[in-house]
Amino acid sequence: MTELPIRTLHLLAGAGPGYLPAQASSVAAGVDRVFLFLFWGSAFFLALIILLTIVFVLRYRRRATRLHPEPSPAHSTRLELVWTVIPLVLVLALFAMSTRTWIQMTSADPGADPVRVQVTGRKWSWWFDHPSGKGANELHVVAGRPVELILSATDVIHSLYVPEFRLKQDAVPGRFTRLTFTPTVPGSYPILCAEYCGTDHSRMLSTVVVHADQASFDAWSKEGLPADATLAELGEQVFAEKGCAACHSVDGTRSVGPSVRGLWKRHEKLADGTTALVDEEYLRESLVKPGAKVVAGYPNIMPPMPLEERELKAVAAYLETLAAEGGAPAKGEETKR
Amino acid sequence: MSTAAVAVRAPAHETESYLEHGRGVRSWLFTLDHKRIGIMYLTAISACLLLGGVFALVLRLHLWSPQGALVSNDAYNKLFTLHGAVMIFLFIIPGIPAALGNFVLPLQLGAKDLAFPRVNLLSFWLFVAGAIFFVVVLVVGGVDTGWTLYPPYSLESARGLGILLALSAVVLTGFSSILTGVNFIATIHRMRPPGMGWFDMPLFLWALYATGVIQIISTPVLGITAAMGFLERIFHLGLFMPEYGGDPILFQHFFWFYSHPAVYIMILPAMGVVSEVVSVFSRKPIFGYRFIAVSSMAIAIIGFLVWGHHMFVSGQSRWASLAFSFLTMLVSIPSAIKTFNWIATMYKGAIVLKTPMVYVLTFFAIFGVGGLTGLFLGLLATDVPLHDTYFVVAHFHFVMVGAVMIAFLAGLHYWWPKMTGRMYHEGVGVASAWLVFLGFNLTFVPQFLAGVLGMPRRYATYAPQFTGHNRLSTVGAFVLALGLVVALAGLLHSLRRGRRAPPNPWGAASLEWTIASPPTHHNFDETPRARGPYDYSGLHEVSEEAGWVREEGR
Repeated sequence: MTELPIRTLHLLAGAGPGYLPAQASSVAAGVDRVFLFLFWGSAFFLALIILLTIVFVLRYRRRATRLHPEPSPAHSTRLELVWTVIPLVLVLALFAMSTRTWIQMTSADPGADPVRVQVTGRKWSWWFDHPSGKGANELHVVAGRPVELILSATDVIHSLYVPEFRLKQDAVPGRFTRLTFTPTVPGSYPILCAEYCGTDHSRMLSTVVVHADQASFDAWSKEGLPADATLAELGEQVFAEKGCAACHSVDGTRSVGPSVRGLWKRHEKLADGTTALVDEEYLRESLVKPGAKVVAGYPNIMPPMPLEERELKAVAAYLETLAAEGGAPAKGEETKR
Repeated sequence: MSTAAVAVRAPAHETESYLEHGRGVRSWLFTLDHKRIGIMYLTAISACLLLGGVFALVLRLHLWSPQGALVSNDAYNKLFTLHGAVMIFLFIIPGIPAALGNFVLPLQLGAKDLAFPRVNLLSFWLFVAGAIFFVVVLVVGGVDTGWTLYPPYSLESARGLGILLALSAVVLTGFSSILTGVNFIATIHRMRPPGMGWFDMPLFLWALYATGVIQIISTPVLGITAAMGFLERIFHLGLFMPEYGGDPILFQHFFWFYSHPAVYIMILPAMGVVSEVVSVFSRKPIFGYRFIAVSSMAIAIIGFLVWGHHMFVSGQSRWASLAFSFLTMLVSIPSAIKTFNWIATMYKGAIVLKTPMVYVLTFFAIFGVGGLTGLFLGLLATDVPLHDTYFVVAHFHFVMVGAVMIAFLAGLHYWWPKMTGRMYHEGVGVASAWLVFLGFNLTFVPQFLAGVLGMPRRYATYAPQFTGHNRLSTVGAFVLALGLVVALAGLLHSLRRGRRAPPNPWGAASLEWTIASPPTHHNFDETPRARGPYDYSGLHEVSEEAGWVREEGR
């Protein structure tokens, strides 16, 4: 709360870039230039309007000694032209300036060989298929390497937004959209969903990790479960990657959907009054046809999540471990996705 | 329709006011008197403002803490849908034209009524029916799509038919809007008094005329969109839904083809009010009359060609985005022209700081911010990061709430003595204007800052870094609400205790101020001869009680 006035003063004092989010893509600086130019131009005209209003009100207030207006013309074609042409020239200049930047924002650098990442938006998580073959619920890129995202969505419209990149693109079901950029500064930046998509719109968060070099990216890309990983470990990974945790907590907290802690082999009360035993078959149906058996007290909104046969068994094994642990959640489990 | 009960025979020169002419509930509900219909509209839209305002306060309280302080995400989503839909369709769009316009338009023309009084009554009842249907469906159906109703979300089978029924209700109120537009256009064309050419009309009439043109051209598209929604949902024609081969972006085009011009349905009448008030309270003819009049028409026409600036990141064609951005730059010019002319009107004037004028002064600053921040969103480079963030929320509230609602309050305080025959307490009026201004800025300036930092809109929960912004905004919303309560209290109090209003309390020159406050049922005993609407020569103030009179031949 105390930080806000200081940040505002920064913006007003011209330290604009200090207020704006960090610039982490090749186009961010260009966008900020247009923004700040427009900001100061607007500030000038706003100040002009307010100043003239105040001065005129003070100077020309009606009082006993000044009952009538002073003679002054009721129109002036020259003045009208002045305040038509000057704003017109200014907005056309702005349009040119903005368009130049926007063309850079929307087209890949000539001759560049961008890394193509397939992006899928769904309620309420992102999925990124990297060219290395690795899929993840985070986006991983390399600083200085041009990237081309091909976006689509499985259910409703979502919008991929990275404030630090100054970029945003809707992901629309039934068509592909593109977003090109070059990340410049290594680090992690939040990915937000900017198009309203229902219950957990505000929690549809992810991260873009900008690796300092290819080696660091490759190291991440090769990460994965060891060959001797247990089925339950694989299940935990699937659970995280498919974004299940967006709606199903693992610590017993009530969320959009039922928590999976203690769920395994439980008799669930269903919306239609019957009960169902949570086993492999129930799990399969709930993933492929989520509307078939809805737990009482929860909305019927889950999208279908078809899994590979082995993944299904893995998730079942993972849920079983959550049933066995029971009791209070382990420390740090809450934030695990 | 039972008009017999209403049409009490009038004496040749009646003295009873329109408020006393005919008694009982039926004499109001079935009246053909534009003034009574205006008052009923005023009551109806004020109730909607109250309703939408309560939703807003609940939303703001919820956003007190990053995890959400009050309700579930789903409830929040329903609440912001209700807030937006009620405020836009039931308050801001009908607000100034239907309530103030209905009352004032015939009076400024020296006419006895609108061209089609029965159509006017029909329009009111369509509005009421549509409004009730709408609110019931929204609440019962639990509509949570946002007022923009984007498919596929809005047409998903899980969502039921509530959305489409709500859209039908909007179309019902849309027909009310079309009928009002037709009525206003016909009246202005056919019923101007002798001596009033097009360029002798008060600028409020120019504004209502331009508004009428937009209403009758754009509103049918909303009906078409609703019909297409039904066809898609029931017959799976493949219009908007990808699963049937449709395109969700098509819906956005249809939606904004209506909804962007709708913004001008809101702002043009507001500009008309400002033009009247700034001239009267500067005691000077409006500066640049023709430029202001023509700029209204320019806004009405260019305003039809900019809808695609809502879709810069949707995936629409890049060439379309370029053209829409360019046209959006152009539509800013007429608004700039108006603003400079208003300011120039005050130059060397004799400025009187009564309540309507204080509201208008705050309008200048707020409309300035609202208009200038529109440039950020009309330009491609800056819209991309700002699109769908709180910057947009703050921008359109500056235009719709700041500019339009403040102009509505200015107009309400300006014509209140004419409508009710009572003067409100000046101190209370001025205090309400400053409270509204203060509360408004406190609510929405922090939202600009949060938007620039990247807080998306329609978020039931948010990152902790935005806690400060949101708390300031919540405090501001309550100050704004207090300002509105003070304004309402001052006006209602005047009905009982207010001093009797003279025919011309402000020294205005347009025709509505030449007749009694409140006017008689027939407004004018005989058709008046029009003179310049901003010709203040010969007007002088007799006393507070007697108001201003014109000494002929001076």
